[in-house]
Amino acid sequence: MKISDLDIRKLWVPGSLLVILGLLSTLTLYASTYTVILTTSIFMYINLTVSWVIFSAPTRYISLAPAAFFGVGIYTSATLGTELPLVIVILIGALLSSFLALLIGGLTLRLKGIYFTVFTFGLVELIKHLLLWYEIKYTGTRGRFVILVDNNTIYHIMLIILIVLLITAYLIRRSKYGLALWSIGEFEDAAAHSGVNVNALKTITFAISASFMGATGAIMATRWTYVDPYIAFKTLYSFMVVLMAAFGGMGQLYGPVVGAAIFAYLEEVLITKFPYYYMLAFGLILLAVILFIPDGLVGVIEDWQEKRKGKQHANT
Amino acid sequence: MGDKRITRRDFIRGAAVTGAGLVAASCAPAAEETPTEVPKEKIVVGMSRPLSGPLQVIGDSAFGPIYNRWVQEVNDAGGIYVEEYGKSLPIELKIYDDTSDVGTAVRLTEKLILEDKVDFLWPACGTAFIYAQAPIANKYGYILLTMEGGGTTITPMLPSLPYIFLSLSFSDWYELPVLADLLGEKGAKTAYVSYIADLHGIEYSAVAGIEFPKRGIEIVGLKSLPPDIKDLAPVINLAKASEADVFCCFAYPDQIMPAVGTSMGLGYNPKAWVGGPGVNFGFFQAAFGPAAEGLIGFTTFARGSSPELAAFADMLYADLPLEAQDWWGHPLYWAALETWKAAIEKAGTLNQDAIRDVLATETFDTILGPTWYENGLLAKDAHPGEIGQWINGVFEVVGPKDKATAEFVYPKPEWPAPPEE
Repeated sequence: MKISDLDIRKLWVPGSLLVILGLLSTLTLYASTYTVILTTSIFMYINLTVSWVIFSAPTRYISLAPAAFFGVGIYTSATLGTELPLVIVILIGALLSSFLALLIGGLTLRLKGIYFTVFTFGLVELIKHLLLWYEIKYTGTRGRFVILVDNNTIYHIMLIILIVLLITAYLIRRSKYGLALWSIGEFEDAAAHSGVNVNALKTITFAISASFMGATGAIMATRWTYVDPYIAFKTLYSFMVVLMAAFGGMGQLYGPVVGAAIFAYLEEVLITKFPYYYMLAFGLILLAVILFIPDGLVGVIEDWQEKRKGKQHANT
Repeated sequence: MGDKRITRRDFIRGAAVTGAGLVAASCAPAAEETPTEVPKEKIVVGMSRPLSGPLQVIGDSAFGPIYNRWVQEVNDAGGIYVEEYGKSLPIELKIYDDTSDVGTAVRLTEKLILEDKVDFLWPACGTAFIYAQAPIANKYGYILLTMEGGGTTITPMLPSLPYIFLSLSFSDWYELPVLADLLGEKGAKTAYVSYIADLHGIEYSAVAGIEFPKRGIEIVGLKSLPPDIKDLAPVINLAKASEADVFCCFAYPDQIMPAVGTSMGLGYNPKAWVGGPGVNFGFFQAAFGPAAEGLIGFTTFARGSSPELAAFADMLYADLPLEAQDWWGHPLYWAALETWKAAIEKAGTLNQDAIRDVLATETFDTILGPTWYENGLLAKDAHPGEIGQWINGVFEVVGPKDKATAEFVYPKPEWPAPPEE
């Protein structure tokens, strides 16, 4: 029985994933331009949220730095976009973000709990003001025009980043490295005593997570056409990411994916259909989620599965 | 770990469900796209506006009252006559909330153009927003007449953006050259310039740095203000110590209002006190009353400019509170909409290219008088004024001199004495 179960799954799951991948990668052929644009924006939120979950979900270090790494990517694109090929710019965005994360992580990941959170929040403001000061003092500009890139190209690059990110996140979860991260979240001292190099592990994971945020920012900037430090380093993005992860639930990898996708789509629908009540509706939905499904969508699905399993046992 | 056992299966299943959902969601709007020829009944104008977020207050007091009133007036008169359809078509506004976020504004702009297929695009609010919108509107061949936002940075790019027209006046178009003329003539020798550390502040301080010395005014102090500054006392003290004839505060109401208050509190009364945008609004007068006397700001008109403009002020401000008056932007926005309507009527079609050509080449009769565009900018010679000053409770035009509605007061009067305890 078990073997046949596995066989079916082995065929069905990768098969359906391939079909979805095929559909998504050919979306530009059959969907309207605006659908492609909207999906790109949804992918942006998924990328940021899943990157955040890689580090913050297992370790339970709540980072409010996504906006900082995202912004570094955006500014990389704004400054280098006209000089270098797009792919190189995105790679540099990813590298700069991860370098910043290594630096910050090395300095601050010894901070615990709320102290780390507050520091990461401050980081966004720090970079924003530093950049503002630098631009005004040395370049005499405030904002920058970003090179225009074809919508379909942006979409495909965003999709590629998403796929690489999901594979990375999946592999980390399955590896002993992922297990060590979860053990840090459970009880950091115990993890250290069991031989886990907690500081190195945290810092490296933080950097991996940041590199995807940087890459996402670098490609997204080309959609925004004009950026300034206030646009690029917006703390709202940090909070949105945490909310999306909480909405989806962090226990499983599909949680943040579904959470971010639904949240981003909902935002679009509310903004366009109910522009005057958008904030109110958003607030009510958030309240309902926090009150009624504190474990997010993952929690709801797991509950449902538990119940189903229970029924099966009762029947046999 | 318990988590790990179910990770793989559930992840894959979840990912599959999500992907399928995404694809389904993506396909849905695509399926709706079946273009059908229906008789044209209205002109749909799309806008991404800050209905929430930090820019809401600006949007609601600047272009907001203008487009609401203007559309109402036009529709009451039957709409805009379009020869192609042989009838007048009313305007329907389709407004989305960009939540004061540039990324959202860009996406909604493309939604309006690509999905809603609006007939025309009207602008978002704020310099950064119109800069982000301009290349997009231009790419899709949509005319974009911008309203709230400066133009110095984008002006050199306008030749490559033929669909973009700027209505608002700004630093070197042609406010600060006029200000420098006025001050130079009265014998001002030194100026202390403070400016907000953003695009607006940088543009204005840089232009002042060029125009003031040309008229023999030396800039003796230059200080940038962080956008979230609350305490202006250190800056005012520095300006006071510099003993400059002129004090400039190129910032927003949030900085200019406390700067005026602090100047009064510290007894700093330079011969000229310039601030904008901020001094030009009705709410400035409402807040400072007689203390506003002599303060200088940017403007376009006063009731004395022309009977047409006096009638415009009476019409627009009859139902609006004093706080909502804007002597700088309102007439230019209104006139820009008038040129847009006239261009449609002249072109006789809703075709963007035909209307663009009319806008770029013709001269229109608006509340400003003859109005036209020069390389994408509303011609400076069409501006009824550039520099304003509060004189006897009215924000009069004092420069340029041939368009002035009152004599420039220099030096400014003393601050009113504090009320007796």
